[in-house]
Amino acid sequence: MTERVSGHAGAHPPGGLRGVPASAADGPGGVAASPEECLRRVALGDREAFDRVYAIFAGPVFGLARRVLRDPAQAEEVAQEVLVEVWRTASRFDPQLGTAQAWVMTMTHRRAVDRVRSEQAAENREARLARSSAVVDYDDVVETVENRLDQQRVRNCLGGLTDLQREAVTLAYYNGYTYPQVAQLLAVPLGTVKTRMRDGLARLRDCLGVGR
Amino acid sequence: MTMDAMPDVHTLTGAYVCDALASDERAAFEAHLAQCPVCRQEVTELREVVAVLGAAAALEPPARLKAAVGARIAVTRQLPPKVGEERATTAGPVEQGPVEQGPVEQGPVEQGPVEQGPVADGKAEYGQVASLDEARARRRLRRSAWSGWAVAAALAGVLAVLGVHSGSQQQQINALSQQTKVVQQLLDAPDAHSGNAAVQTGGTAAVLDSRSRDEAVITFAGLAAPPPGKTYQLWMMGPGGARSGGLLPVPASGNPGPVVAHGLGDAKTIGLTIEPVHGSPQPTGPPILLLPMGT
Repeated sequence: MTERVSGHAGAHPPGGLRGVPASAADGPGGVAASPEECLRRVALGDREAFDRVYAIFAGPVFGLARRVLRDPAQAEEVAQEVLVEVWRTASRFDPQLGTAQAWVMTMTHRRAVDRVRSEQAAENREARLARSSAVVDYDDVVETVENRLDQQRVRNCLGGLTDLQREAVTLAYYNGYTYPQVAQLLAVPLGTVKTRMRDGLARLRDCLGVGR
Repeated sequence: MTMDAMPDVHTLTGAYVCDALASDERAAFEAHLAQCPVCRQEVTELREVVAVLGAAAALEPPARLKAAVGARIAVTRQLPPKVGEERATTAGPVEQGPVEQGPVEQGPVEQGPVEQGPVADGKAEYGQVASLDEARARRRLRRSAWSGWAVAAALAGVLAVLGVHSGSQQQQINALSQQTKVVQQLLDAPDAHSGNAAVQTGGTAAVLDSRSRDEAVITFAGLAAPPPGKTYQLWMMGPGGARSGGLLPVPASGNPGPVVAHGLGDAKTIGLTIEPVHGSPQPTGPPILLLPMGT
């Protein structure tokens, strides 16, 4: 490990920590490695592969955490926790069980929702909001270009759901509500919410063409 | 939960992948999942769907996130895979860190490599590394231009650039927990900057600095001990010339600990020279390292 990185370090320009090494984890032919392949290398302790994983997932992780939590400072904390967890548990990623994206986003959503539901989050929220507004103006956050395409696709497919399916899915997933809370908000029976979430997601699956 | 949870348990797949189950219900469903291949398959598929919803929410994260993550992973041990012990050992290169525990072993306070007086005032004792107690006492009394801290997180962030892992993660974590606040302040600084440069005599140095915090952390990797009768001296170099940052004590085995600089002043670059064993008021030879800081 030492030999490889010290050679690399000398050629690395100052400020490299902020940069994204475009081809750091490229395959032998210079083709960018898949996220799954990158995760495999991260499990071997490969820092360059992790840089690539970071470049791929930091935006989605932060964005989803922000969407669920709203509070930018807490979203940043969750994003940090998740990305460290990706490093720590990369050896547990099993490509047979899903894509790298599903693995990382599942972890992100779970953590964000757990935080929403923890009482501590509520207690800290006020102080954190004060802190965050003093530090960075988050209103300037920008969406990445690729994501506009994803967003368009998702928006189109969400538009193909019934109102109840769409509301059940988005209230649960993006707002972090439990399905009994969703049922309350939408004034429908629990069983209905459960099935609308499920068949709504099944329809999204077909529309998005993911998950087999 | 009502009775219908039992017969209807399959229909919970949607709510489950949305994390819309309360924690007890989640646990119950996961127990069911373990015995239901059909449910597992459906969960696998629906997870891909919600992952696309999640990814569509992507936002550009603040730039400091990367430094913070880099700092933490450098002190975070990776889990071995869930298989035999043979594979576990090959999969954890973090354990094989090449740097045999140097100064960090001694705990953060003992790190203090550059505790001699404020060097800016011409009569400073350039060559003396204060004893530990003396150093502690002095730290309490005044703020020296430099202090040596095992600022593990910042160190880790800088080391992360080099990709070098220290041998004892636990030591770094211990040090980290003590210094979290200071480090976080540095990492949180909107103008946090990091860079690295080669040392001409071998090895590399890295810096993490912030003008607004007026602080910098410098770390070294692969730096050998100075020649006999010589010492390393750090310099804050700016338009006004070179100001001594103090001596850099290096164990006989090399690999000095990290140092923190306070009061960057007009310095643009951190320099390192080889000086007589008690140090010099001004550099007497060409710098073997020029490490630019952020502006």
